Amino acid sequence: MFAPALRRWLPLALLAVLALGLRTYELDRRPLHADEANQAVKTGELLEHGRYAFDPHDHHGPTLYYAALPLAWLRGETTLATLSETTLRLVPALAGTCGVLFLFFLARPLGVGPAFLAAALMAVAPAAVYYSRYFIQETLLVTCTLAAALAMQRWWQSGRLTWALAAGAALGLMQATKASAPVFALAALGAALVVTPRRPVTTRLGRDLALIGGTALGVAALFYSSFGTHPAGLRDAIATYPIASARATGDSGHEKPWWYYASLFGWEKNGGLVWQQLAFSAVALTGALLAWITRQKVLRVAAAYTGLIFLALSCPPYKTPWHAIHLVPGLAVLAAGALALIRWRALAVVATANLVWLQLTQTHLVAFLRAADARNPYAYVHSSPDVLKLRALATAALAQHPAGTIRIISEEYWPIPWYLRSLPAGGVGYWATPPADCDGALILASAAQAPAVRARLHGNSRETFLGLRPGFLCVVFTPAPPAP
Amino acid sequence: MMHHSRLSLLLAVLALTGAAQAADTVPLQIELPKPLFAGTPRPISLPNLEKPRTGKRPDLMVPAGTVNLSKGKPVTSSDSLPVIGELSFITDGDKSGTDGTYVELGPTPQWIQIDLGAPAKIAAVAVWHFHSQARVYHDVVVQVSNDATFKTGVTTIFNNDDDDSSKLGKGTDQAYIENYEGKLLDGKGATGRYVRLSSNGNTSDELNHYCEVEVHGSLVK
Repeated sequence: MFAPALRRWLPLALLAVLALGLRTYELDRRPLHADEANQAVKTGELLEHGRYAFDPHDHHGPTLYYAALPLAWLRGETTLATLSETTLRLVPALAGTCGVLFLFFLARPLGVGPAFLAAALMAVAPAAVYYSRYFIQETLLVTCTLAAALAMQRWWQSGRLTWALAAGAALGLMQATKASAPVFALAALGAALVVTPRRPVTTRLGRDLALIGGTALGVAALFYSSFGTHPAGLRDAIATYPIASARATGDSGHEKPWWYYASLFGWEKNGGLVWQQLAFSAVALTGALLAWITRQKVLRVAAAYTGLIFLALSCPPYKTPWHAIHLVPGLAVLAAGALALIRWRALAVVATANLVWLQLTQTHLVAFLRAADARNPYAYVHSSPDVLKLRALATAALAQHPAGTIRIISEEYWPIPWYLRSLPAGGVGYWATPPADCDGALILASAAQAPAVRARLHGNSRETFLGLRPGFLCVVFTPAPPAP
Repeated sequence: MMHHSRLSLLLAVLALTGAAQAADTVPLQIELPKPLFAGTPRPISLPNLEKPRTGKRPDLMVPAGTVNLSKGKPVTSSDSLPVIGELSFITDGDKSGTDGTYVELGPTPQWIQIDLGAPAKIAAVAVWHFHSQARVYHDVVVQVSNDATFKTGVTTIFNNDDDDSSKLGKGTDQAYIENYEGKLLDGKGATGRYVRLSSNGNTSDELNHYCEVEVHGSLVK
């Protein structure tokens, strides 16, 4: 009785297990990036004190923090000190796995085989795996975008209100995840218009669209207002746009050439390591060409969406590698579409297996072997593994000098606050420039500040080095133990 | 007697006053600044890592007739199959530090060992780990021995492993920032056929690198 259902769903279930495994294996191994740590501390404040206020400067929407709460509760973590890297990263890991499944259902009109292959290519894609193990908003945004597209597709085809509500909720979650959500929603709309879809089944289009829009606004408003406890968040949700716009077009320090995102899917040799996705990109490009030749609607939508997103991301000078994940679902569908058109079954199987294997080897290098390596194109301005030593150093220093303080004196210090989160409150301080009194149980100063700090210290100190990130060195001053 | 009573009273008052003052004192509480929430750090590095030395590096005086004994000599390692580069790069004379000229050993403490072919009196060891980026290698230890397993007759000529994390003994030498000049170590006349260099990752990653090692000295006749 269950055999047909089992046969039908088992491959997808196994694919979900593979996707989840790649996204959750040794989640706490890579040190937290500065952005992850920053958001982890915000999540800890929300978890411990129930406080969250949307900050339109340098920060994205609230869904990431709220999504971490149930996972933390399930894992028995109730304070910032007990909150773990694994709990935090489970949010994008689970979202990324859901995204793989959503892509399967979204690409289903291509046929079960090609839809499965598209999902499989997303499951093993280096960027998708890497940023599904990364406590930032990008994977959540991709998954919400796929959920919104899927719900819209189903509503369009069925006219059912539940799908309209689901689409509205997903659009609202997109907006509550990141202010850049409209870019992806508009790109999806533009791509859908390319294929001039037939009229929707619903006979009350206006009512349904109002329901979708109202639900989206309601969901977004709930999150930005911190569920009604911080109404100013609604104002700030709009105020963030001029700030984000200035960052995207101005001097942000993250300016890169227009071909940057294309290069992430090309070939690069850096420090003896080769990072490449040439086969995947070539097959996906073939799929894009075939989309216009075969007039296959799903392929054409995927090609148009990916092209529009590529343009939208590549035009502004501001670029960071995590945006590359938005290109993965479209490229995966296009590559799957191209492989599905191979008429010789044996050749199709061999080509598919080789492509998946190549992507897996790159994912192994990117997400596991060299996850925090400066040569890894996805490990952007990443924290050095050295930061993992700091907590032990600080704890030992406080054991020697129980009344002392830990002083962090550096123009940049993230992710250190995360790693020192369990130390006694008030025992750790942060300065961008050396204070008049630099003495403490342990002093960590950036290399630039170290000479000034050294001049202000009293007594003898042992000096060692600690890397905050590649190229950014800190000096650790450990005062001599007090006389017995 | 009267004087004694007055003196006792005065002392008692002073003691009580002092105790009251002591009870009024509390540890000074200094409010420390909290971390600020900042945006994604920019991809920059700090060029001025330490006060630049003025002038050339001080000369290390060595006996006349001292030569580079390690050029082209065989190298072995705790990581026998490096992912990047080859162990032979360590003694090939190319210390440029560019891609393709250094060997990368895995994480955790790793060592490389140069076989000089015969016992030698070591005058100096110069080591270039990696100098295209400012970084510090942790727990650098340089030892000399006639025993290829380094179990007996080991002389340590440099050790900055101040917490003995590499289990080679606690060292007191200073950590240093890599640069194009490499690190020049006084061999102190240590005698041995083998020179072993250990390290335990660096401030950028957990890996261990070598562009070049030069062992200067003279063969023991």
